[in-house]
Amino acid sequence: MFRIALKGILGRKARLILTSLAVILGTAFLSGTAVFSATLNQTFDNLFSDVFRNIDGYVRSTQVIEADFGAEERQRLPQELIELVEAVPGVADVQGDIQAFARIVGKDGEPLGSDGAGPPTFGSVGEEFKGALWTITDGKFPSGPTEVALDEAVAKSGGFVVGDKVKVIAQAGSREFTLVGIASYGDVRSPGGATFALFDLATAQEFLAKPGFIDSILISGDGSMSDEELAKAVNAVIPSSYNTETLTGAEITKESQDQIGSALSFFSILLSTFSYIALGVGSFVIYNVFSISAAQRQRENALLRAIGASKKQVTRALLIESVIVGLFGSLVGLVAGIGLSKALSALLKAAGIDLPSGGLVVPSSAIANTVVVGLIVTVSSAWLPARRAGRVPPLAAMRETAIEVVALTRRRTVLGFVFIGLGAAAITAVTNGASNTWLGLGILFVFSGTITLGPVIARPVALFLGKPAQQFRGVTGTMARQNSARNPKRTARTASPVLIGVALVTAVAALAASIRTQIDDVFTEQFKGDYAINSNARGFGGLSPSLADDINALPGVARATGIGFLTVKIEDRGQNLTTINPATVEGVLDIGLTSGTYADLTPETIFVSQKYVENNSAKLGDTISVTLADAQVKNLTIAGIYEFDDLAGKYTVSRDLVKDSTVITFDFGVYIAMEPGVSDATARAALQGAVDKYGQGDLLSKREYIDLQSGQVNQLLGLIYGLLFLSVIIAVVGIIITLLLSVFERQREIGLLRAVGMTKSQVRTTVRWESVITSLLGAVVGIVLGVGLGWVIVYALRDQGLSSFSVPVGSTVSILIMAFVIGVLAAVYPAWRATRVNLLSAITTA
Amino acid sequence: MNNPSAATATEVSKIYGHGDSEVRALDNVSVQFETGKFTAIMGPSGSGKSTLMHCMAGLDEMTKGSVTIGDVDIADLNDKELTRLRRDKIGFVFQSFNLVPTLTADENIRLPLLLGNNKGNEEWIQKVINTVHLQDRLSHRPSELSGGQQQRVAVARALASQPAIIFADEPTGNLDSTTGGEILSFMRKAVDDLGQTIVMVTHDPVSASYADRIVFLKDGKIAGELLKPTPETVLDYMKKLGH
Repeated sequence: MFRIALKGILGRKARLILTSLAVILGTAFLSGTAVFSATLNQTFDNLFSDVFRNIDGYVRSTQVIEADFGAEERQRLPQELIELVEAVPGVADVQGDIQAFARIVGKDGEPLGSDGAGPPTFGSVGEEFKGALWTITDGKFPSGPTEVALDEAVAKSGGFVVGDKVKVIAQAGSREFTLVGIASYGDVRSPGGATFALFDLATAQEFLAKPGFIDSILISGDGSMSDEELAKAVNAVIPSSYNTETLTGAEITKESQDQIGSALSFFSILLSTFSYIALGVGSFVIYNVFSISAAQRQRENALLRAIGASKKQVTRALLIESVIVGLFGSLVGLVAGIGLSKALSALLKAAGIDLPSGGLVVPSSAIANTVVVGLIVTVSSAWLPARRAGRVPPLAAMRETAIEVVALTRRRTVLGFVFIGLGAAAITAVTNGASNTWLGLGILFVFSGTITLGPVIARPVALFLGKPAQQFRGVTGTMARQNSARNPKRTARTASPVLIGVALVTAVAALAASIRTQIDDVFTEQFKGDYAINSNARGFGGLSPSLADDINALPGVARATGIGFLTVKIEDRGQNLTTINPATVEGVLDIGLTSGTYADLTPETIFVSQKYVENNSAKLGDTISVTLADAQVKNLTIAGIYEFDDLAGKYTVSRDLVKDSTVITFDFGVYIAMEPGVSDATARAALQGAVDKYGQGDLLSKREYIDLQSGQVNQLLGLIYGLLFLSVIIAVVGIIITLLLSVFERQREIGLLRAVGMTKSQVRTTVRWESVITSLLGAVVGIVLGVGLGWVIVYALRDQGLSSFSVPVGSTVSILIMAFVIGVLAAVYPAWRATRVNLLSAITTA
Repeated sequence: MNNPSAATATEVSKIYGHGDSEVRALDNVSVQFETGKFTAIMGPSGSGKSTLMHCMAGLDEMTKGSVTIGDVDIADLNDKELTRLRRDKIGFVFQSFNLVPTLTADENIRLPLLLGNNKGNEEWIQKVINTVHLQDRLSHRPSELSGGQQQRVAVARALASQPAIIFADEPTGNLDSTTGGEILSFMRKAVDDLGQTIVMVTHDPVSASYADRIVFLKDGKIAGELLKPTPETVLDYMKKLGH
């Protein structure tokens, strides 16, 4: 049977290619993302080994606050430790290091680097040092309060050359420096797309952080002892009251590598999740192709049975074929995936993220995973069609035409409804108070039920969707409509990938629409000002706190207040506190105080949300112990309780809390209320002047600001759409393959139609409309499911403050339009093939 | 119809292959099919009878010679014009697989008209449907019709657009003799009562005897002709030709 299977494959190369295409696409995404992640990890590992090459020891504080999303805030060290460490025998050279927020302003006045979610913008120390992380490629290291060096990438993108004036924004405001040097980090022009402004230590301390303090000490040894001995010696010299630790060069390298690794792993997981979704979608296509090709070979298989092959042998022949297709497809997919990962890198480079150079890493686990998963998916997709092929009665060999059996069993209908019923029951149980974990199960059941019912609903829905085609396209439309309904199983299987893709996209769109509405409501209710100055930097850096003070001094301004946040430790967990200015907040920002007044908020007190009070049975007068990033412990008394926690979160403190510490804060927004009667033009002119002085932040009207906040959801949306695009591609390929096989199957019919006078363009129209109807079928059912799924997700997130569900009308319309376009595009090649049908052989073969 | 011939072939050759492997399916065939007559083309397998029909109907390209349908020389037509010619001027009945399975009998009958966005002559269509006794089968799909009914639909389709000529390729080849006889009677009626022109390829003397005239083909050449045939005269003639 093996030889028969092999001949079966080689005899029909076109079919082999079509079947493999689905496997190739599915596995290519799998291997592509794996190779990309591994390569990325490896290149960053190499980068850090290179950069820390001459670092033998690293001193830093042991006091650290870890906040959400892996952000950490470490206590600073006093400067005098540098001299202490320098005197240790075995130490050849030391450098105090600082890494803090700094943003370089381009020649056009716009800050360089990306806002918010992009790579960070740093200010750091660049000095002559034996173990220097930075190498000067042009000019010299900066010295003195007016000199700066830039990383090569930002110098190039900003068009800066040595001698230029460069404006830099930092926590202390903005200042102009003279560019004296261009530096590279290891062998890259900039690490991972981050921008760097380098200063001498004194300038960095004063401009970026706090005078007298540093973040860490870099040590280069003289080679007289091992790194471990050196670290021990340094540790012995520093008094324990400083709370420091000394890492070896190897340790800090490893830690930096791991840090990047864990940051990248989120990205890797996201990528591979979507590549598995794509593969799952692809399995429908594989299943469909095997089903159709088994049906088309019905006579051949029946003949084998008639001349004495057993059921098992026929089944086995098809399974062997699937193993070969699976192997071939996965191997090609693996190679294609490697190409894909290169394309991904090129894409990032084009987007301005310069990845360190380094060879492609193809981990053996990725190879094994791709081939094994590809093989399993292929063979299990072929299992049912192979079994069905074995059951072909030998008599079928005598039948004139091979038509796939389309009988729909009652069992299928019952099973489908049972699945949907179970799913609905699970979801209802959750709305009645059961745990959210049941939601996932409910969703899974509803999806399975819908897919099971697919062939049952395909016919009526396809006929309904095809009505306009019939109306506008006459007999070609009628045929397209009937063709899409003639084999409901096949149509359902072809539409399923579209269905899944569309359902996921719709659900995400529904979630995003709900979040947008929510944000809109929250800001409309709580932001009472007329204008806002917004900084997109949320995790790192932002607006200088003195901006709000400057604006308050402007004529025409009734009140301006800054809102920012502070990372602290409460009960050993990192927490974000909202910082406000109690003197100016009233009437501009409403946090819904239910007890206390803003005047009660002092550096000794804290406000907490209503929810916090309920969850912790706290009350006014209780104290909360807060550890600042510089290890100062503050015991704050609860002096007020507020209702609106959407913006302010659990805790709100006065910005003066950190006045006497080494901790620095930024505002992410300044809210402004104008005096009545000030015209928009006057207000904007005055406010813009203040903003320009700092060079950062966007001046927005209330409406613009709210739109911007709710629009941030779109970024997330874009990413998810991009990833779901993989599934859409597979769905399109699925439609193309099915149409091609259908065209092949209907050669005689097409030949007959051509003979009695159907023009080529009419043939194309028929195929095109069948494709559109199939695609729309998937889209319509997918949208129904997706809206339901979106509702379920929003419901599951109700505890996260998401209270309203919105149907994404706009997205739904564009999905339908896209489904239409996809249908048209997918039909291009099959329609062309249909016009190539040999008329004569089609009508003369008996 | 001024032109007494509905279709004319002049020195038509159809050659497959080159050199030693050259096969002449048609060798310099000239023949005319008269308007309003029922002509049969007979010949053994491989005699070129089907090839002649395909070339004359614009379904196959000839190597040499010319074919006119009415006044139109089909060599001058591109694919689109040829398709339109088949749709508007030619009717077809094939041996099997004549109907589009997704369309009803009525839609199948009107298919060439529907493809041309042409309403056709409703009175005529009704007359055709009545002639082939399909009034109560119109809303059925081909899979719900018997073999004989399917061929009747095919004949009705060929007649529906009042074409200049109808080509039938072994139209009764897949039917039992009673049903086949019925179909041939309908075709006879279409010529006598409705004034149509039919050319039928067959190898069956009984079928051929329904025609007004028989053209015999052998080895790609015209081997003879017989007017007003009966099954007996056909058999005699075939013996004479050495079939």
